[in-house]
Amino acid sequence: MNDEELTLLGVVILFSVGVYGLLLTHHLIKIVIALQIIGKAVIIAFAVAGTMSERVQLAQSLIVTIIVADTMVAVISLALVIQVKQRLGTLDARELSNLRR
Amino acid sequence: METNSVATLIALPLALSLAAYIVARLNRKIHPGWLSLLILALAWGVFGVAANEFDREGTLTYRVGMMQLQLDGLSLLTCGAILTLGTLTVIYSLDYMAEESAADKYYALVLLLLGTMMGLVCTRDLFNVWVWFEAMAISTLFLVAFYREQLASLEAGVKYIVQSALGSAFILLGIALVLAETGTLDLQEIAQLNQDSAVLWAAGGLFIAGFGVKMALVPFHTWLPDAHAQAPSGISALLSGLVIEVALIALLRALTCVAFSWGTLLIVFGAVNMLVGNLLALRQTQIKRLLAYSSLSQMGYMVFGIGIGIYAQTLNGFEGGLFHFFNHALMKGLAFLAVGAFIYSLETHQPLQISDLRGASRRYPYIALALSLALLGLGGLPPLAGFMSKWQIFAAGIAVHEPLITLLVIFAALNSVLSLAYYAPIINVLYSRQAQVEMAQGRTVPPMMGLSLLVLSVAIVVIGVYPGLLHGALEPAARVLLTAFGE
Amino acid sequence: MTAWLVGLTIGLPWLGALIVWQVPDHYPQRQHGIAVIASLLTAVVSIGLLTTYSPEVALRLHIGGVFGDFILVPDGLGVLLAAIAAIIGSLTVIFSVAYMEHESCLSRYYALVLIFIGTMAGLVLAGNLLLMFFFWEITALCSYALIAFDHDNPAAVAGGLKALVITQLGGIGLLIGALTAYGRFGTDEIAVLLARAETLPKTELSLIAFSFLIAAMAKSAQVPFHSWLPGAMEAPTPISALIHAATMVNAGVYLLARFYPAFEDVTGWTTAVMTVGIVSALLAALMALVANDLKRVLAYSTISQLGYMVFAVGAGGIFASQLHLLSHAVFKALLFLGAGAVIHSVGTRDMRQMGGLWRAMPQATIAFVIGAMALVGIPGTNGFWSKELILERGVEDASPVFVVGLLIGVGLTALYTLRLVWLVFAGTPRFSAQVHEAPSTMRISLGILAVGSLVTWLMVSPLSKMLAETLPTHHLHSETTRDVISDVMTAPITVLALVCVALGFLLWGFHHRLGWLTARLQFLNRIASQDFGFEALNRMVMRSTSTLAEHLRSTQTGELNWNIWGIVAGLVAILIYVVVEV
Repeated sequence: MNDEELTLLGVVILFSVGVYGLLLTHHLIKIVIALQIIGKAVIIAFAVAGTMSERVQLAQSLIVTIIVADTMVAVISLALVIQVKQRLGTLDARELSNLRR
Repeated sequence: METNSVATLIALPLALSLAAYIVARLNRKIHPGWLSLLILALAWGVFGVAANEFDREGTLTYRVGMMQLQLDGLSLLTCGAILTLGTLTVIYSLDYMAEESAADKYYALVLLLLGTMMGLVCTRDLFNVWVWFEAMAISTLFLVAFYREQLASLEAGVKYIVQSALGSAFILLGIALVLAETGTLDLQEIAQLNQDSAVLWAAGGLFIAGFGVKMALVPFHTWLPDAHAQAPSGISALLSGLVIEVALIALLRALTCVAFSWGTLLIVFGAVNMLVGNLLALRQTQIKRLLAYSSLSQMGYMVFGIGIGIYAQTLNGFEGGLFHFFNHALMKGLAFLAVGAFIYSLETHQPLQISDLRGASRRYPYIALALSLALLGLGGLPPLAGFMSKWQIFAAGIAVHEPLITLLVIFAALNSVLSLAYYAPIINVLYSRQAQVEMAQGRTVPPMMGLSLLVLSVAIVVIGVYPGLLHGALEPAARVLLTAFGE
Repeated sequence: MTAWLVGLTIGLPWLGALIVWQVPDHYPQRQHGIAVIASLLTAVVSIGLLTTYSPEVALRLHIGGVFGDFILVPDGLGVLLAAIAAIIGSLTVIFSVAYMEHESCLSRYYALVLIFIGTMAGLVLAGNLLLMFFFWEITALCSYALIAFDHDNPAAVAGGLKALVITQLGGIGLLIGALTAYGRFGTDEIAVLLARAETLPKTELSLIAFSFLIAAMAKSAQVPFHSWLPGAMEAPTPISALIHAATMVNAGVYLLARFYPAFEDVTGWTTAVMTVGIVSALLAALMALVANDLKRVLAYSTISQLGYMVFAVGAGGIFASQLHLLSHAVFKALLFLGAGAVIHSVGTRDMRQMGGLWRAMPQATIAFVIGAMALVGIPGTNGFWSKELILERGVEDASPVFVVGLLIGVGLTALYTLRLVWLVFAGTPRFSAQVHEAPSTMRISLGILAVGSLVTWLMVSPLSKMLAETLPTHHLHSETTRDVISDVMTAPITVLALVCVALGFLLWGFHHRLGWLTARLQFLNRIASQDFGFEALNRMVMRSTSTLAEHLRSTQTGELNWNIWGIVAGLVAILIYVVVEV
């Protein structure tokens, strides 16, 4: 296994960890963290893709964009989570299931 | 042709949305709604110029830094649909949102949403597809959670952002795979490489899943009924009528670089969406939720048509799918706006139940008629627009001359009949003679709201009677897809 | 000139609908007036159209792309049915003036009736399949809206929905057939399909032929798609007369007759058509025998008579089927409007609460009895001639089993018609309401239709000439009235039919003494009143669909994690597909 393949394995593991978190945790903050883990996996994936295709420059600029967008999503979702806490007094995602069927 | 009208078309609403917000904030006398209408009028002007140039020169391009913009037949059609429904929604909102204190934010967000959608359909760079897509998702989020005081909006917002972020991660992973494999992100360059590898197949699968979240393909659809039912009605119209469809266009753009035989998969998704959407809507009692579920089934028809186009390389499949996209924008827009008019007249903040509309035709004959037209059109009955686009999709399907596809066309037609089983009862309720007391005493619906409803109603009847009207715009758009997905 | 007439036949009632819809409810006189004027003008125009028929395209609107051209062709078949729709339409509108006097929402009622009249004309004049399907679906839409006109009556709403769903299901047949033809020819012109049918691959031609048969069965309420028609009787009675007896239900027969030359060589098609016709004729006659609701009896009798027409097409008797269509349209509209007058007066539809009405409403009784005679096929009425032509055709072209079936049907028709007339008009009154003779506007319509029931058969020569001249692929030869009279009078089947009628009447005469037989036949009664199980089938389909929907809904838990499971499962499914595909 060379470096790139190893890193790719890392990406897959990281991504799976994030998805695993999204699937199983009911805690809203943890859900946001899981999303962040997935985001980081994606960023590393781009870094690897850049090296593999010898477009490091391009990959770097893409990564910067992704980080910005990722942060925005994190900020917004945390803001929503804070409101949930204030209004419902809980961070349990299961409490947020009034809209159904 | 290299021209800046493309860039202007997209930049105008984006840049001016912020300006309009600030102006309206500083000077309370300036109505943000009329200001946005003015901006949209400017955008229409630019659109006219761009369409004219496109007519003469063919595809228009514009390069700004890393960004490569491109206006082809497909983007022109989509931009037209976006501006049409967008303008009508803004006109409608002039009265609908009049009592809303946050109206300035509302209009700025609507303009932002329209601008990002136009950017999304005009880009020819895979990564920029994602950037615009993300921008669209974020502006959508603010509009979904617009009624901040309502808990339900918060819930819809949380679910929307988490699911949408996951979908967006899928897309990014797909893009990374494409970059690793081809070393470029320009859609046309990738398409010219004509590579066929397992990695690109996987990227395509990730694209379908990722964009599928926003397009509400079953089983990625779970956020949609919450978000669409919870947003202000004008926004519901934009979300159901444009956003999910623009996501479909984005998916098609992304798939052009991994243009293998995605036809079968799309046809299956289309069929599943029709059935599941209809069944979920069948026993629904909240009308906006019902309309949201019906969007699933309508999306099914579009995907089905385009799937047939890819599968059998027929222009009619693509054109039918796009035609249905345009008609659905009008019909679902009309349905949501008409329901919004009832919500307005009842001054209710509870989710509107179908039974609340009992006897609405007595007090509001024209709005009841508009809603009936929208519903019957969605059900695929002539002389309304939805009938003609379904006909075209089915015609493309039968012309494949494969028994299985013929069976699926019959299945799709059966689904149309099934959908009538939930559209028609709403009409029965509307035309009941004993009016609900609240309905009988509802307040008058202002003329600006009526105007949007009128324009949309007339449009779906005219297109239903004379479907050739849009052929000139649909054909080049369908041809773009046919070329992109051609052998 | 012809182009104008064609355009006006469709456009005038639509324009009238648009105008009448704008009239507010507190001007009922204006609503009645506009509707009557619009429908009468349409009738006049349609008569003009009858004189200028031609097989050439009268109007062509280029649409482009997959939609091709919209074409209207005023050939014999088309103008005949358009005229029936317009003329009977105007008579029902005139009848409605009195019948709907105290109803609300009249503008919507008249608008829908007028839209229907124009659409029906469009349906039969359409020269391409898309346009035909277009009008076909609008007639279903009007029918639905008018059945459910009283939206506060759950039975009416359910009946309307059922009619809509079943005719839409049948409509899929027309859709598939039309698109299959389009897929091969690249055009959906009817003339092309008729002329080049034999160039199609065998399986595809069969597909088209049988899909069209399904569409026709659903529209013409043939077994097993018939169950919507009795439910449609919740509509106001003039609507039952116009849409559910005289015009829309004929569209199925029209479809079969129109495409007969293309399909006659398809293996098994003609036999299937004849079987459908006979089975519907007999089953519906049995159901008519046991129903107690006046309008339901008439509805079953409509199914039964449509069965005769469908049979006639299957046996190749295009002219016989169209002549019976004309006769039936006139006498059944008469019967329904007569029933409307009775219901208007007595206030119920249950025949067990009528009786002895001839004293109170002698003129309506005379009109109704003339209609009943035409239905039974008493010599001298239009129903007699057209039914005998169908029987003759059966003797010539079908197996003896079918002929026996037809004769049994004739006997049953006589029996249930006599029962109907007896229960309503004869005997002692079984009601307490103050009954009155039908108002004058009602009597105008009844009178015209009664005269029509006696004389329309005299038009055999011109009709036959018109059809023969304008339907080249049908290879009809022109017959004169004189020919038909001598044919019918010398045919042995005529005598047999009259014997069957007499037997039917006799059976009713002895129905009190035949207690043992009726007791034996109770089981038949029971099955027939439950619609031979077809109603249960309908209900089962509906229930299982909504159970499925309810189960599926319960999977939408609204929980975030569950939603994510959905997304991940979807991704995995796609990736599995990708792996398999690569």
